[in-house]
Amino acid sequence: MLKDYVRAQTVDEVLAALQKGDARVIAGGTDLILDLQAEKVSAEILVDINSIDDLQNIELVDGQIRIGAAVTHQQAAESQLVLDSAPVLAEACRSVGSLQIRNTGTVVGNVINAQPAADAAVALVALGAVAEIKTENGTAYQPVEDLYTGVGKSKIDSTKQLVTAVQFPALLPNQGSAFIRLAQRGALALPVLNVAVVASLVNHKVEWVRIVMAPVAPRPLRAVEAENMLRGREVNEQNILEAAKAAAARANPRDSALRGSGQYRKSVLETLVKRGLSEAFNKAQG
Amino acid sequence: MAQMILKMILNGKPVERRISPGDTLLDVLRGDLGLSGTKKGCGRGECGACTVIMNGKAVNSCIVPAPRAMNARIETIEGIGTVEKLHPLQETFIHCGAIQCGFCTPGMIMSAKALLDKNSNPTREEIKEAVAGNICRCTGYVKIEEAIMMAAEMIKRERRK
Amino acid sequence: MKKPAVIGKNVRKLDALEKAMGTATFTTDISLPGMLYGKVLRSPYPHAKIINIDTGKAEKLPGVEAVVCYKNTPRVKFNTSATSTFTIPPLEPVEDQYIFDSVVRYVGDEVAAVAAVSEKIAEQALKLIEVEYEELPAVFDPLEAMEPGAPDLHGPCRAGKNIPGEKIHLELGDIEKGFAEADEIFEHTFKLPVQKQAQMETQAAVAQVTADGRVTVWSTTQTPHPSRRIIATIFGLPYSKVRVLNPPYIGGGFGVRIGLSAKAEPIAVALAMQAKKPVKVVYSRREDFIASDTRHSGYVTVKTGVKKDGTFTARQMEGILNAGAYCSWSAETPGVLGAMGLSVYRCPNQMYDGHSVYTNTTPAGAMRGFGNPQAMFAIESQIDIIAEKLGIDPLEIRLKNIMQPGDKWVLPYPCRSSGLAECIKKGAAAINWQRRGKFDKTGTKRRGLGVGIGTHVSNAWPFCGDYSNAYVTIQQDGSAHLAAGVPDMGTGTVTTLAQITAEVLGISYEKIGVTFADTESTPFEIGSHASRTCYASGMAVVAAARDAKKQILDYAAEMLEVEAGDLDIENDTVVSTSNPEIKAPLSEVAVQAHLKGRQFIGVGKIIPENAPPWLAHFAEVEVDTETGQVKILKMVAAHDVGKAIHPQIVEGQLHGGLAQGIGYALGEEIKYNDKGRQLNDGFHKYMLPTAVDIPELKAIIVEAEEPSHPYGVKGVGETGLVATAPAIANAIYNAIGVRFFELPITAEKVYRALKE
Repeated sequence: MLKDYVRAQTVDEVLAALQKGDARVIAGGTDLILDLQAEKVSAEILVDINSIDDLQNIELVDGQIRIGAAVTHQQAAESQLVLDSAPVLAEACRSVGSLQIRNTGTVVGNVINAQPAADAAVALVALGAVAEIKTENGTAYQPVEDLYTGVGKSKIDSTKQLVTAVQFPALLPNQGSAFIRLAQRGALALPVLNVAVVASLVNHKVEWVRIVMAPVAPRPLRAVEAENMLRGREVNEQNILEAAKAAAARANPRDSALRGSGQYRKSVLETLVKRGLSEAFNKAQG
Repeated sequence: MAQMILKMILNGKPVERRISPGDTLLDVLRGDLGLSGTKKGCGRGECGACTVIMNGKAVNSCIVPAPRAMNARIETIEGIGTVEKLHPLQETFIHCGAIQCGFCTPGMIMSAKALLDKNSNPTREEIKEAVAGNICRCTGYVKIEEAIMMAAEMIKRERRK
Repeated sequence: MKKPAVIGKNVRKLDALEKAMGTATFTTDISLPGMLYGKVLRSPYPHAKIINIDTGKAEKLPGVEAVVCYKNTPRVKFNTSATSTFTIPPLEPVEDQYIFDSVVRYVGDEVAAVAAVSEKIAEQALKLIEVEYEELPAVFDPLEAMEPGAPDLHGPCRAGKNIPGEKIHLELGDIEKGFAEADEIFEHTFKLPVQKQAQMETQAAVAQVTADGRVTVWSTTQTPHPSRRIIATIFGLPYSKVRVLNPPYIGGGFGVRIGLSAKAEPIAVALAMQAKKPVKVVYSRREDFIASDTRHSGYVTVKTGVKKDGTFTARQMEGILNAGAYCSWSAETPGVLGAMGLSVYRCPNQMYDGHSVYTNTTPAGAMRGFGNPQAMFAIESQIDIIAEKLGIDPLEIRLKNIMQPGDKWVLPYPCRSSGLAECIKKGAAAINWQRRGKFDKTGTKRRGLGVGIGTHVSNAWPFCGDYSNAYVTIQQDGSAHLAAGVPDMGTGTVTTLAQITAEVLGISYEKIGVTFADTESTPFEIGSHASRTCYASGMAVVAAARDAKKQILDYAAEMLEVEAGDLDIENDTVVSTSNPEIKAPLSEVAVQAHLKGRQFIGVGKIIPENAPPWLAHFAEVEVDTETGQVKILKMVAAHDVGKAIHPQIVEGQLHGGLAQGIGYALGEEIKYNDKGRQLNDGFHKYMLPTAVDIPELKAIIVEAEEPSHPYGVKGVGETGLVATAPAIANAIYNAIGVRFFELPITAEKVYRALKE
């Protein structure tokens, strides 16, 4: 049963509050509030991080875009910096739930919630994002991609740790990205599938590409074979089609009574990856 | 259960209320404060009937922890217009026939207001995106969107004066 | 006829200001001194016997003031729908429910309820109720439920295994002869999903019981008078001691509360009686989804015989609907399905057989259209199949065969008006129909156009009993007060009835006050359903206003010393039609009457006839052949509504209907898992359209003259979704050449069909 709600003003205050018994970090809380009400999660103290100034910023530091833990989806979607240098993230954030949800839920929370198809998290994995994790003992960094231990299960323990930010390299002029989403309606819907692509081209050839697909595994899934296949190759339709096929082959979507059979998702995934690659390559060339 | 004091600027006026840490903002508005204009349609952030504006942004008050509203500026449907001087959105919602059962109306108007406060020249697509989190089962949204367009025009005209 | 002063105009709706300001009161807003909060314990099993129920711990929880279950509530059977009021002998209403029973028949069925000082305590108390269940075999599909080995949900049924009420049979001409005359015969079976009304305000009721046993219930019901009857019967009270009213607003209905608001009212009353305090019961959104009536799912088969020139010789239909666990409207819906389905096209030989079947799923009841959308998805899909096979344009085959005034049909009232041909022509022009067949068929985005047509009713007669009454009282200042028992669930009923009152009386619209939806201050009225309020309640209001007007003019004739027949009322003034110099303000007439102790009270008592509204829906779609996604680009709905009293309200009804029809076509469905659990139990999982999913909607109003109503009104509330789904399905066929026999047409279904 909830006994206290602490509105921390600094990161240290958060870490100190987490020491006091049954405490848990709350950022946007769009999922946590429901989980608490349903008694799926319990806490006596909630430590709200939304008033911490340091966590509210989107900054460019040494070529890295840093998104603070209190940054909402809508802030990221509207940020000129994100729109210019990580449009895949802006697009992903814009497709989350509804404006009200985007005004409340945070980008970092989207990662820690550990739903494999969380739109912002899928984009962050494609961007190669790293999470900054603070505990009483210090600061650690881990790739967002490695934070998943199962569906809805994160390595981050919000009763002990605080992710203060995620950061990733800003895209360069020879780099492009795309976010492709298939959903049952235009808003208030979880994705049937989403795909994030970030690509870097040199002389019309693929320098590297990251392709992330969801929900086709317990975490946002990198299409590693397809990525490797494309490296060093020309950007052309044939190569894109082959890579899309290879990407879809790696996916293992489950049957969902609500959002479609695994078979359907697996076959359509190829189209989405194809569309994602084409768009990302186009932008990189543009 | 522990109690705490919530202070906020509600519809332009400071208010103080004793709350429980587990209360949502909607609980406090509809409960002790008696502001029943804000509706509860699902209690899960899935319908927008409880939309209020918090520090300039539309949020689902049913999933905002009440303690987070500490020192916040909260606007609800009760605070945006009076019978003598309705908010342009209230006028155009009435004029355009954008109100049927009326249960989504307060949340819908608050989402629209949050949009027009920032952008008084929205496109139809921007309007749709702004109210996509507000479910209306009666109108098919057509007259709601028309009302928001017309309110934007009114606001622009008023500004030019 | 005089030029109308008020009707046909978009006057300011009477409910709009309060709703725009957030001050309108809904049931969920009511708070009374000492009021408790009720919560309901629901069955986790689709079919089980309650072996034991122990409420002791819950009763002891501090803050709990009442706990009710089957052991301490009336053992009186009822039907949550208003069928008990509407059903006319020799038919008998099916009454198959208790407030609580010792057997639960679907996941969500009521087991017990608690009233406590807060919602949280009531919820905690529910967890303390110990229930021991013995699971029983369950069945979920109506066809399986008719098999000999299936469990009997309600013991033996007269009409057949698990069949509530009667089987419906309709017949016209000689069906065998009709098929014998046909050049071609087409037969198809269509499968329909469970759609949910998903009105914005969940089911809710607040009950108050006085020390001397009078009961007041504020609730979300669409039919206060019939609901009063149900409540009074359950609790063994005289009707005169039970008051049911809306507070006065209802957050939508769409049929979900024609009768009780699920069981919110009787549960609130039972708790209030035990606690001796007012009790408020508000369903959560999940409860509303799983434990409150849905649209009927099921199967519709259509067999049509046709001549080579496209003339129909025979049409036979069968409808088997899933009733769910309790009857609700399941005895009536199959009849409307057949009757509406057979009444769109002239065909000399017709037959329909239909019924519902109990299963262990959420009860199906009334939802906008009431069987008609199910019928028309089947019929209008098949008409396009026939047209293509015969090489006839879809519009041409429709225009050739549509019902005309005076034609014979299965309905027991005449077809007196039809603007359907005009609807088809105007709709086709608005969607630019001549583009059909000329779209590019090479890319991955394919466009198509489709049409669907239909009709409906303007009230429930003769399927059910239907009548209306109203009082119009002239106040001492010359204003008028209307008392009508009908609710306004957002459809503009009160506004249009006030317009009609003003029109008849010659009084300004602004001077009409209305009391509505209250059994204690209005005469008996069936309620808001069956697209009837403007038509049927409107007739009662016309009659009451005419009666009041006659009294005014009789009195004014004495006062002005002229013949009453020479007087009329215009602009709030009684005036001589032969000599406009002779006149008196109505306010003066009213004051004079008052001083002489005279009150003008008009009473309207009517039994309505019925009249067919007509509609033609057109859809333009774009199908993504790589993902199966269907995007609707535009919808046009041309409707013959008779006289539109308030055109803006009519358009709003059509837009709203179209949006629900779009949902029905493409995404809305409640599915079950193999344990009988509803999978789509909230807005996030139930794919009704949001603003970004709705394309351009164009509503076209056609006003054919309908002689059965004093102002030529016909029904409109339900018509907006009658043919939306087939118009979309036909457009999808036009785009990609794939025919769908099942709704909703999801992206996955389209994708699979394209791959096959």
